[in-house]
Amino acid sequence: MDDLFAPSDVSWTPVSPKLATLRRLNAAIVAGLAAIVALVALGLTLSWLYGVLAVVVIALLLGWAWVLIGRNQRSWKYAEREDELLVSHGVMFRELVVVPYGRMQFVDVTAGPLERAYGMATVELHTATPATDAKIPGLHPDEAGRLRDRLSALGQAQAWGL
Amino acid sequence: MTQDPVTQQTVEVVGQRLHPLTPFVKGWGYFVVAAVALVNNEGLRSNLTVAGIGLAGVLVGGILLGALSWWFTKWQLTGDAIRVDSGFLFRRTRIIRFDRIQAIDVAQPFVARLFGMAELRMDVAGGGKSDGKLSYFRYDEAQQLRTTLLVRAKGEKAAEQQEHDQQAEALAPPLLTVPTNRLLGATLLSSTVVASAGALVWLIVATMVLDFHIGLFAGLPLLLGVVQPIWKQVVGNHGFTLSESSHGLRTKRGLFDVQRQTVPPGRVQGLLITEPLIWRLLGWSRVELDIAGVAGQKEDGDDALEGAQLLPVGERAEVAYVLARVLPGFDLSRIQMHPAPERAKWLRPVGWRYLMYGVDDQVMVTTRGWVSRRTSIVLHHKTQSVRLEQGPIQRRLGLANVHVDTPLGPTDATALHRDQAEAAALVAAQAERAREARRTVAASVAVQTQPNPPSPDGSSNSAASPADDSSDR
Repeated sequence: MDDLFAPSDVSWTPVSPKLATLRRLNAAIVAGLAAIVALVALGLTLSWLYGVLAVVVIALLLGWAWVLIGRNQRSWKYAEREDELLVSHGVMFRELVVVPYGRMQFVDVTAGPLERAYGMATVELHTATPATDAKIPGLHPDEAGRLRDRLSALGQAQAWGL
Repeated sequence: MTQDPVTQQTVEVVGQRLHPLTPFVKGWGYFVVAAVALVNNEGLRSNLTVAGIGLAGVLVGGILLGALSWWFTKWQLTGDAIRVDSGFLFRRTRIIRFDRIQAIDVAQPFVARLFGMAELRMDVAGGGKSDGKLSYFRYDEAQQLRTTLLVRAKGEKAAEQQEHDQQAEALAPPLLTVPTNRLLGATLLSSTVVASAGALVWLIVATMVLDFHIGLFAGLPLLLGVVQPIWKQVVGNHGFTLSESSHGLRTKRGLFDVQRQTVPPGRVQGLLITEPLIWRLLGWSRVELDIAGVAGQKEDGDDALEGAQLLPVGERAEVAYVLARVLPGFDLSRIQMHPAPERAKWLRPVGWRYLMYGVDDQVMVTTRGWVSRRTSIVLHHKTQSVRLEQGPIQRRLGLANVHVDTPLGPTDATALHRDQAEAAALVAAQAERAREARRTVAASVAVQTQPNPPSPDGSSNSAASPADDSSDR
């Protein structure tokens, strides 16, 4: 089954497990804020019982998200073939993107404050169409830099006009 | 707001004014609207004095404003540029250098044509369409000015060459014309118009029979749905002509405002053939193109995503002919199409029968849709990326989608709901084909893909200027 979205003729590189930690932290922050707002708002308007109930529901959702994030993180992987970059991700909605290096228009390396704190960066490859969705999150900054340089070099060497 | 600086500035500017009837030609719409509003207004009609004063006020005000704008608009030719000063409250000076002018065309919108007037359109690289407009002149004056500008911008020889090109183009017989009655019939039978008209008829009947007056509010958008496509198709595509020129295929269309477009060979990214339900019975279809640099660019009020039209409505033989013109050696009927597996009907109860794809060594073809069937044709060596996608329901059914991405445009090559093993194989094969095509085509078609040198092309090829291609090679 898994072979369909990850052809075995290339070696796949997983992304950092810290990506899951980061996303869980993100989810926990959002859930925490939502829980506080729900507790106070429901508690003041209806009754505190409903507020506590809402907090429990949010906690359950967070628990579910916790598991999903772990599975999702394990699904992210990428591979560099001779002429193409392959990115595969998703558990429920799975996607495999194949982008020839020569089609690259530019490469983005981004890192938000939380990403930086965890020592991670995101590399995104852009082609002439916005539909191409070749994004690799959770890379070590050195690896991101290496990938960026390699992609731009390969993109230049194999560049092929529209 | 003070008059002094304005008058001082105008004294400094020496130049020529435009045709004195310009404000009327530009603003005739307002007069018509004002007159119609006055005539239709019950209160005003019963009180004729007020109506007369109102109309006179609008007329005088309009004429005054128009005259002011005309008075303060002046143009002049300087050593290396054309300079246009305009505006009486907010002065504006625009200087267009001769060497920045890509093309100059004389155009005659409908009302201007009635008065024997014309406007000058200068294509300036990077500028919008309205940036280089100068209106209005007497027709012969405009022609003369165009020649002068051409000579200054491109030199004598180029100007002559261009005249020659234009004459040759006018003489060459068109490859294809679309008769107006077919255009009209096709528009009347297109899905949007039929659906809107049907809804409108139902609405009228419902209103008459059931006294259901609230529904009338829905009538306006429906009426618009009937009238707008007819207007756009019949007026916009009137006299659609496809011809061959030294720069590629050329299309010419429009009743009031003639639009020309050039399709350079090798810049075509993909084709889209659309066949609405009723058209299929008559064997009609529409062909659109993705051209690098054209799609996504706004073209005078058209939709942002509209590519180039190759054929607004054509019969099967004509479609096959234009396809063979754009893609030499290509025959759609020869491509083996693979239908989607039957279990796709859980996701597409009716449309699954029409989900197909086919591949040959040059292109990939996908078909979908049962109300309006869309056939996308994408070239392997233009493929940007290939994607394999699967949602949770598809996973249970063992299906997956394959997207072949091309640059922005109307085509959308997606092989929907294929068997997942087949889809995975297709992605690998498609990547392989794109790679092969890039390698083999690199030698042969790259010559074709080469942009036309910035030749003295003075006619208004509004789209596909060969400017942006060379940069990313």
